Amino acid sequence: MCIKERKCRPALWAIVPFNGPIRSALRVHPTATGLLFYLSTLAPSSHSLPRPPVSSPDPAITMAISPHHLLLLLLAAAAASAGANNLVGELESLRSRSPSGVIHLTDTSVTRFLSSSTRPYSVLVFFDATSLHSKSDLHLPQLRREFALLSAAFQANNPASSDLFFADIEFSESQHSFSQFGVNSLPHVRLIRPHHSRLADSEHMDQSHFSRLADSMVDFVEARTGLQVGPITRPPLVSRNQIILLVLMFLASIPFVIKRILQGDTLLHDRRVWMAGALFVYFFSVSGGMYGIIRHTPMFITDRADPNKLVFFYQGSGMQLGAEGFAVGSLYTLVGLMIAVVTHLLVKVESLQTQRFAMVAVMIVGWWAVRKVIFLDNWKTGYSIHTFWPSSWR
Amino acid sequence: MAEVESSTAASGGDRLRKASGGVLCAFTLLLIGVLAFSIRLFSVVKYESVIHEFDPYFNYRVTQFLSKSGIYEFWNWFDDRTWYPLGRVIGGTVYPGLTLTAGTIWWLLNSINIPLSVETVCVFTAPIFSANASWATYLLTKEAKGHGAGLMAATILAMVPSYISRSVAGSYDNEAVAIFALIFTFYLYVKALNTGSLFYATLNALSYFYMVCSWGGYTFIINLIPMHVLLCIITGRYSSRLYIAYAPLVVLGTLLAALVPVVGFNAVLTSEHFASFLVFIILHVVALVYFIKGLLTPRLFKVAMTFVLTVGLALCFAAVAILVALVASSPTKGWSGRSLSLLDPTYASKYIPIIASVSEHQPPTWPSYFMDINVLAFLVPSGIISCFLPLSDASSFLVLYLVTSVYFSGVMVRLMLVLAPAACILSGIALSEAFNVLTRSMKFQRPRSDDGLPAAEDITPGTSSTAATIAKSGNITKEKTENVSKGRPSKKNQKEKEWVGSSPVRPDMEEKLCVLPAEASAMGILFLIILCGLYVVHCVWAAAEAYSAPSIVLTSRSHEGLHVFDDFRESYAWLRHNTEVDDKVASWWDYGYQTTAMANRTVIVDNNTWNNTHIATVGTAMSSPEKAAWEIFNSLDVKYVLVVFGGLIGYPSDDINKFLWMVRIGGGEFPHIKEEDYLRDGNYRVDAQGTPTMLSCLMYKLCYYRFVETDGKGFDRARRYEIGRKHFKLTHFEEVFTTHHWMVRIYKLKPQKNRIRGKLKLKSSSKASSMRKGAGKKNPWQ
Repeated sequence: MCIKERKCRPALWAIVPFNGPIRSALRVHPTATGLLFYLSTLAPSSHSLPRPPVSSPDPAITMAISPHHLLLLLLAAAAASAGANNLVGELESLRSRSPSGVIHLTDTSVTRFLSSSTRPYSVLVFFDATSLHSKSDLHLPQLRREFALLSAAFQANNPASSDLFFADIEFSESQHSFSQFGVNSLPHVRLIRPHHSRLADSEHMDQSHFSRLADSMVDFVEARTGLQVGPITRPPLVSRNQIILLVLMFLASIPFVIKRILQGDTLLHDRRVWMAGALFVYFFSVSGGMYGIIRHTPMFITDRADPNKLVFFYQGSGMQLGAEGFAVGSLYTLVGLMIAVVTHLLVKVESLQTQRFAMVAVMIVGWWAVRKVIFLDNWKTGYSIHTFWPSSWR
Repeated sequence: MAEVESSTAASGGDRLRKASGGVLCAFTLLLIGVLAFSIRLFSVVKYESVIHEFDPYFNYRVTQFLSKSGIYEFWNWFDDRTWYPLGRVIGGTVYPGLTLTAGTIWWLLNSINIPLSVETVCVFTAPIFSANASWATYLLTKEAKGHGAGLMAATILAMVPSYISRSVAGSYDNEAVAIFALIFTFYLYVKALNTGSLFYATLNALSYFYMVCSWGGYTFIINLIPMHVLLCIITGRYSSRLYIAYAPLVVLGTLLAALVPVVGFNAVLTSEHFASFLVFIILHVVALVYFIKGLLTPRLFKVAMTFVLTVGLALCFAAVAILVALVASSPTKGWSGRSLSLLDPTYASKYIPIIASVSEHQPPTWPSYFMDINVLAFLVPSGIISCFLPLSDASSFLVLYLVTSVYFSGVMVRLMLVLAPAACILSGIALSEAFNVLTRSMKFQRPRSDDGLPAAEDITPGTSSTAATIAKSGNITKEKTENVSKGRPSKKNQKEKEWVGSSPVRPDMEEKLCVLPAEASAMGILFLIILCGLYVVHCVWAAAEAYSAPSIVLTSRSHEGLHVFDDFRESYAWLRHNTEVDDKVASWWDYGYQTTAMANRTVIVDNNTWNNTHIATVGTAMSSPEKAAWEIFNSLDVKYVLVVFGGLIGYPSDDINKFLWMVRIGGGEFPHIKEEDYLRDGNYRVDAQGTPTMLSCLMYKLCYYRFVETDGKGFDRARRYEIGRKHFKLTHFEEVFTTHHWMVRIYKLKPQKNRIRGKLKLKSSSKASSMRKGAGKKNPWQ
């Protein structure tokens, strides 16, 4: 446990607008972590990305335009609309192939569907990178699932709509498109509206819209496109059949369970199980574990000044990191357990020498743990506690 | 069994010891009460005898009304001073326990010719009840682990910072009496459980009634006790005492709870209460099984068992089905938002901004625990283990109480208050056991040689004079056992003997002399005393420095000395004296209670956040541009707008810092308000980087109007940067009052222009606008 790291103050994570006093009625907005992972570090260094070409006209349209000057205007308009209809048709067929309605784009299809200047549709693109799925702090797989939910909700609400399509792009197979969009950090979602002529002009969904997952993405889409997305329907954790099966199993097991309980030989009758459970709940709560769950804080973060250094302890009372909470929580629990060991276990030991040795060890460790917690608390919150002696004693 | 009885039939000297012990105990309890009362007086000594914060002002106003108009008027009180134009039925929407308590105290004192003002009584209600709470803690802990642990726990509770934060003198809030009611209800439950006496069970229901009157947190009781009953049944600890302790509570308690207007039929209709009914049914089924088991031979019992089980299960399922149907028919599945956010911690932050916006509802970090229960956090695990060795009904209840409350406190920092008594009780047990072992080791020593030990095991108390010390210590341990399996009345009937026999304490285990080396024990005692000393220092510091600020009067200590900011009362006094009685004042909801109580003016929204739309309307007005805001306020008959501004003195919890919540709550109801319009790249700021929407909204303008005149640069000390828009004029509002430190600024809505027809229109409108400009320049307070 790297308690020594505490001196470095993290700044990257800390999107803290203002620090109020303890009981002021404001709070830090729990935006989804705000962690950016820079793709440049990921891309193979030898592979220099080519400059993005200026949007090339769609081949279908070029072929359709006849060189006859007389008919040029008329034909161009017709061809454009025909080409666009074509594209819409293709997109719809692609959409129908995917269960959630998310179209998978590659470099070529990006050029085909998004580079043409006349598009009657908007596209919401999710930028994905399979190689980063293992980075738990980016939440890419989770956001990708939420994105699929969003798409499914939109499709359910607007079954035959061709105003908005949902698409995703994978980094390793479409690096060119990533550079065209100017995307260098993930998670990243962009909305390409019909009037965006350059891809880089498209609108970027900012971090705050990931905070409540699909629900906040809905807000973004509705605000920018004016389309109604509709309620998000999440799939239940277990399907209907599984629920029926579980209920049946539960019903069948009730008599056996009651019998066991009456006989009094279940795991529930073991006092040590209850004791361990109680201690664990206590440990988890006092270490601020619920804070981590509610605010999605990471266990530790990297220092902004020095990326190789990890920060385990965050200075400032409004926020805590996972590791620091569990470290202090285990100190809390450790001291209590040692006192319990002395009062209940050590008194039954017969050897005086063992008793003496163990007590000294307990006292030293306890002293250290209490001091450590007091020191950390002062360091973190900045409170310095002083005594109130009678003034005549001074 | 016989040994225990012989030891209880004590000699005369023993009786004297017991009597002096009782006197000492009573005296200690008295001192603990004095301690609990006086540690909470820091706020009166350091500041003055005022009511604190926001909610207490409402309670104070209600108490004033009660003492003036009497109980029946109070019950039917419709308050037209708040939530204009809706008003609020106070009698039906308030938990009356606190008000009635303080009202009764005031009436009693006055009837014996002690003329105290209502305010004084209100200020000192909380300290008085903390003394009561520490006595209740003593009783509860004594039920589980004996007098020593009880006294220790009471002492610890008397000064636990978490409880002090809600019960300093002047903090006249529901929690002040509710914590006492909570502990006392638990005590009566445990007492009823230990004695099996219907008397205590009935008292328990009454105490539960008082708790329901006092605080919405009563749902904690009505879920915790059923959980404990269920736990007892599952672990095979069912007894008739359990039935007596629980069944009257559910029946009487629910009937009584339904009498409180604010609860009413919720007591049977909402999901928070269903657990108790379900457990009530299960308890009856189990009781029936035990009854039949007593009647029949084992073989017949098996047959009957299957029969009863099928019938019982069928009944259970029918009941569950009815409950499920009831629950499913309500939109929120019968749960209130707050309880849902306890079960699913992420619920509130996702769906209910009005709950998520309150700082009390945030999850705490580890320093919060160290701040609020301090060294108790170290001691509690030891207390948990002590409760398991041996496990009795009472101690299992304490463990369950701790575990649930520590989980809830992890979800909401506010519920740290419920955790505090549990932590105190378990730490008291831990400390008392540790002191017990260590002092015993210093007093009695084990015989030097190793073969002394089996000898000590053989010796029974009082048989040999040489082993007098050992015998004595044996007595002590036995007394402890007796205390543990507590509460038996002297008339022991067959059942209770059976129960004691089944208790896991084996007497022969207690015979062994359990001691530690003397010198190490002395060291250990020293360390424990240092730990307790740390706790005392911390508690006094917390009571004096951290928790006694009334927040209506602010102080700051600089090198020039103490500086007092009394701007809030200044502004409320201005409103009271310079505006019409029926004028409506709009402000963010935080200041609603104070405005009605101190300025006696009608407000639009207040801290009782029962109508989200109304709050959202005010939020929308504050986040709209001036003209739109004027229209909203005018439609609500508002005449004055009050904003709290900390930029001049660096007060961080002002309206600009709360503003994002106004936007969020407003945007929740009126979608044209969008949070991202107020954020630059996801950051909230009001400097040059601020968005145009932000810099032209009403809140910004009202806060920073003429601010640049103070230092020429417009440097905001709360945000620590220069503001974005410095020179601007107000078109629809005029400044009427700004307090000494600019903390409260009051604006008046300009009157509507006269409508003039025909040709005159052009001329007069230009004239009117020029006049308005003139009016804008002239400030009557300069």
